[in-house]
Amino acid sequence: MSKINERLKKLHTIALVVALAVFLLVVVYEIHNLDNNSKRYLSEHYISEGVRETGAINLVTSVLYDYRAFDTLGEATVILTAAAILSLLVPVSKATMLGTKFSIIVYQTTKFSIPFLAVLGVHLIFFGHLSPGGGFVGGVVLSIIPILLTITYGVEFSESKLKPAKKKLVEDIGAIGFILLGLLGVVTGSNFLANGQANFGPGNTGELISAGLIPYLNVMIGIKVGAGLAIIFNSLIKEK
Amino acid sequence: MINLIFNLLMIFLVITAFFMVFTKDISNSVIALPVFGVILVVIFVILQAPDAAMAEAIIAAGLTTVFFVITINKTEY
Amino acid sequence: MVIPYVVVIILFSLGIYTVISKKNLIKMVIGFTIVESSLILLLILIGYKPSGTAPILDRQYEIVVDPIPQALALTTIIIGGSVTAVMLALVIKIYKRYGTLNVDELRKLRG
Repeated sequence: MSKINERLKKLHTIALVVALAVFLLVVVYEIHNLDNNSKRYLSEHYISEGVRETGAINLVTSVLYDYRAFDTLGEATVILTAAAILSLLVPVSKATMLGTKFSIIVYQTTKFSIPFLAVLGVHLIFFGHLSPGGGFVGGVVLSIIPILLTITYGVEFSESKLKPAKKKLVEDIGAIGFILLGLLGVVTGSNFLANGQANFGPGNTGELISAGLIPYLNVMIGIKVGAGLAIIFNSLIKEK
Repeated sequence: MINLIFNLLMIFLVITAFFMVFTKDISNSVIALPVFGVILVVIFVILQAPDAAMAEAIIAAGLTTVFFVITINKTEY
Repeated sequence: MVIPYVVVIILFSLGIYTVISKKNLIKMVIGFTIVESSLILLLILIGYKPSGTAPILDRQYEIVVDPIPQALALTTIIIGGSVTAVMLALVIKIYKRYGTLNVDELRKLRG
């Protein structure tokens, strides 16, 4: 009897999921139709005027840090909240994982690859307005460095090199710096986080120091995301 | 040619997702997760989205897998 | 270009099925990851135009793909990573508290 009941329950679930799929098919078919015969005025404006208005070549960066910079602030707040939740959930204790001894090849490879990772992360952050990349991706690459140190050498070594208090300080500097750079727009008589309209001097398009505030905002977001993800990882691994 | 590769990658994506859901061992499904992510990265590059591809490669194929492996280790499954 | 939308729907339904029918908590988190990936793929597909170039305008191009869905997809990826980390921390906490990852046994414990 219970076996039939279970079978019926499974059938019920599958039927529900199939109904959901048919519903989604109708909705997505509308989107697919809408693709062909509608004009997107906002994107057209961004594509034709974006480079002149913001000075950044990479249009994704100019959307993220100029037109919709307020959303980026909210996104950075989500990462801050996640790091705070993990610090709350996990009590301060010694790590119990990773008692494994590696061979010398692993230690030497880690030692040699860390400088290249640092260079890659910093390049991705600084050239965010000229090439693919940007603050988020560069920050994640930078946060790989403490993770590699933790995995190969253990939590004690990693936390003696990069102290948790220091990481928290760096994350706070990133968050507060982003808001202060945004207030700079208010000081010059424009909106919060204004960049293109506030006339900070777009510079020559295509050079490293151009596009007004965008490179500095990229640096702030980069150090904030890197420190936040390193805190999240160390909190997860220190759970007893 | 690029259309053929694109459709093949879509089929691989679905196969990897089904393997990830219906395999018995949790370790197998966690190791299939970065494969799923890497196929998605190639699809994003074909669809002309290099920023999203880079973020997906680092976050989904790198960090999330590490988080899952730590969780499996902690719960001793 | 109909096949990619069908793939998006299949992945979304598969993720929802995993979340509501599987017993293991880690499997449920994997289901959430699949749903999130399918939504990112949908966002990128909406912005794509046939024979367009990536939105990096180092010179004048004829057709450029839509940059707004790509920026939203970038946001979704980063937030998804941190949300997954929080979910996994909660899974570890539940295991420490009840000693099991099976959803049915967790329900029995509550009575």
